[in-house]
Amino acid sequence: MFKWFGKVNFSPFTKVADFAQHLKEGHIMGSRCKTCGATSFPPRADCSECMSGDFEFFEISGKAKLHTYTKIVAAPTGFQDLAPYIVGVADLEETGRILAWIGETIKEDEIKIGMDVQVVPQIFDELEEIKVYYSLEKPGTSWTKM
Amino acid sequence: MSKVGIIGIGHGVFGRRSDATVQELAFEAFRTAMDDAGIERKDLDASVIGSVPEYHKQRSLAGVINEYLGLIPKPAWLTEVACASGSAAIRTAWMAIKAGVHDIIAVIGCQKMTELETPEILALMGRVGEVQWESIYGTTFPGYYSLFARRHMHEFGTTHEQLLKVAIKNHYYGAKNKYAFFQKEITMEKALASDMVAAPLQVFDCCVNADGAACVILANEDRAKEICKKPVVWLEGMGCATASMSVLRRPNLYSIPSAVEAGAQAYEMAGVGPGDIKVAEVHDCFTIAEIMAYEDLGFCKKGDGGRFIEDRQTYIGGKIPVNVDGGLKAKGHPIGTTGVSMTVEICKQLRGEAGERQVPNADIGLTHNVGGIGQYTFVHILKRED
Amino acid sequence: MDLGLEGKSAIVTGGSMGIGTEIALTLAEEGCNVAINYRRHDTEAKEVVKKIEATGRRGLAIKADVSSYDDAQNMVQTVIKEFGGLDIMVCNAGINWDGVIWKMSEKQWDTVINVNLKGYFNYNKAAAMVFKDQKSGKIVNISSINGLRGKFAQTNYSASKGGEIAMSKALAKELGKFNVNVNVIAPGMVMTEMARNIPPEFLNKAIDETVLGRIAAPREIAEVVAFFCSDRARHITGEVIKVDGGQYI
Repeated sequence: MFKWFGKVNFSPFTKVADFAQHLKEGHIMGSRCKTCGATSFPPRADCSECMSGDFEFFEISGKAKLHTYTKIVAAPTGFQDLAPYIVGVADLEETGRILAWIGETIKEDEIKIGMDVQVVPQIFDELEEIKVYYSLEKPGTSWTKM
Repeated sequence: MSKVGIIGIGHGVFGRRSDATVQELAFEAFRTAMDDAGIERKDLDASVIGSVPEYHKQRSLAGVINEYLGLIPKPAWLTEVACASGSAAIRTAWMAIKAGVHDIIAVIGCQKMTELETPEILALMGRVGEVQWESIYGTTFPGYYSLFARRHMHEFGTTHEQLLKVAIKNHYYGAKNKYAFFQKEITMEKALASDMVAAPLQVFDCCVNADGAACVILANEDRAKEICKKPVVWLEGMGCATASMSVLRRPNLYSIPSAVEAGAQAYEMAGVGPGDIKVAEVHDCFTIAEIMAYEDLGFCKKGDGGRFIEDRQTYIGGKIPVNVDGGLKAKGHPIGTTGVSMTVEICKQLRGEAGERQVPNADIGLTHNVGGIGQYTFVHILKRED
Repeated sequence: MDLGLEGKSAIVTGGSMGIGTEIALTLAEEGCNVAINYRRHDTEAKEVVKKIEATGRRGLAIKADVSSYDDAQNMVQTVIKEFGGLDIMVCNAGINWDGVIWKMSEKQWDTVINVNLKGYFNYNKAAAMVFKDQKSGKIVNISSINGLRGKFAQTNYSASKGGEIAMSKALAKELGKFNVNVNVIAPGMVMTEMARNIPPEFLNKAIDETVLGRIAAPREIAEVVAFFCSDRARHITGEVIKVDGGQYI
């Protein structure tokens, strides 16, 4: 259910809702248009190239390069207990960019624009409800932490 | 097709206006503009309101303003494109007059923001990117511009001090503007010591939410020449463009593509280039935004924005005075009003009414009004009739 | 039905005797590598390991006092190192030390609570930390029907067994989103060494309580435990399964 995505979710209904199901199971999905093959991340139901509504998910590797970042200190409603947090924008290997928190495996003084990162699915473990997200971690970090 | 000109201007005091409702604020500016134009309400054909509704408890603002101003049963409607709503209202009125549907239209930018608490405002304003994929990470409006700032610094070596020089300039001029929220100058020391908002942007890099209204009266060429006793200011170049809502789909994060596009349209329509502009109002919601504006509008080369302000090129006496009414930084940014406020200032400059903030020989001016994080930009070039 | 336990790694506390031994052997027969702990009964423990290895699986006996938090952490780490992972945690080690409350010493209370309830916390926590990270795991806690009802002269034992049930339900809620099942098996009377010391009239009373007219053999508990260690029971969590021949109904 798409409302699982994010501690505070503003768009519970979407044609790409299964994204959250896959994320809960440890997979991050982009979308591919079944008519013309155009890919997109974040996934979208309606093709921006050929306007077809026929799409499928495909799993991205999660490999990315950091494009820019900021540390948010003044936080909006719903996020004050998490502040400060670092938001990063990274260029994905396959297609598109991703915006996510920079996670625990990367120390603040290690952050550099251009560094390699790995996008990793995460579960908000101290919330009783099922809530999932993804974060930017050191390359080699995996969801199952084996 | 006839030209469209501005025949009356009005501006209210910006600040925490807990003394007034949004319609009362609108009336202040409207009254001034009508007196300035020397017309009566019966002369108006319609009104267009620029405002962002979600900050008000009152629903459907256009009707409320229209009624309070005493304009029933004239046509009235709202235009909303985030912080560019004021310019959108001007463009809409311009289109209606150019098409010959109406002759004289009152454009009112009005906004109350302080009906909400700061974390609520942060949350609401932060939802200006792509909510579905970004707001779950607690993104904020200053947060988005910080992403731009970091990238700009990475690409061009822009420094935080250079950013703060924009704030220092704007407060210098805001101190001379009786309508501005802040009328005190600031120092580099004070700015550097201010609280962090979203690194690297600190409190003094950020414009402040404010309440306020401004009004311009637009008329077609014939009526303008017939009515207006003061120099008419003509809308000569009207540029408008959009860009992705999301930082994930911009071609780069160190410029605002809709501003570049809108600027190019405006220059072409007005038949001028960046070097011809004598005075400009740009959208400095954050210090980095003004630096990117210098570059996006071609006042200086891409990447040179930091040096441009460092060399004081945007003070009066420099290459192109920018935001000499205090800009969003010192005036405050009642978001729906700003586009109209910028236009009022340019009209003052072009008419020679700007007092100690007057730019000498100002005959061509420019307003650059950006909505949200750059998903909409309106660039208007105004010329004084000679 | 294939339980699909081939190659899994399990810990069974209190595995050196009684129900625990039977659980360990059943899991080994189903394909698991099994580690057990012992506190004093090292000879018995080594015997159990031999029987595990006779099934072709790896067995391990580790000296650990279940009431020691550190022993539990160390045992889990050792098993992961030796077996290459951990998939199943069965907490079974428990004692009773009966007495009416007006004769029950503080030590009598504390010891039963520490071995039984605290012991399950120690091992559940150590396993939960691993299972949460690897996004899979099965925890089975052996309680008793006397955790669902009160038993005369067992304020301490009933408290510990009831506590294990509530704890397991809370834990099920915490670990569900990580694909980890937490369930409780509540046996009635079982024919073990512990039971052999019960006076005959109490044993008969227990038989009378059952609908099936008999007391369980340890294997009859162990087979149910094995089912709940498997993916056949993957949609059951936070549940309490009485294996008591109808003694409680």
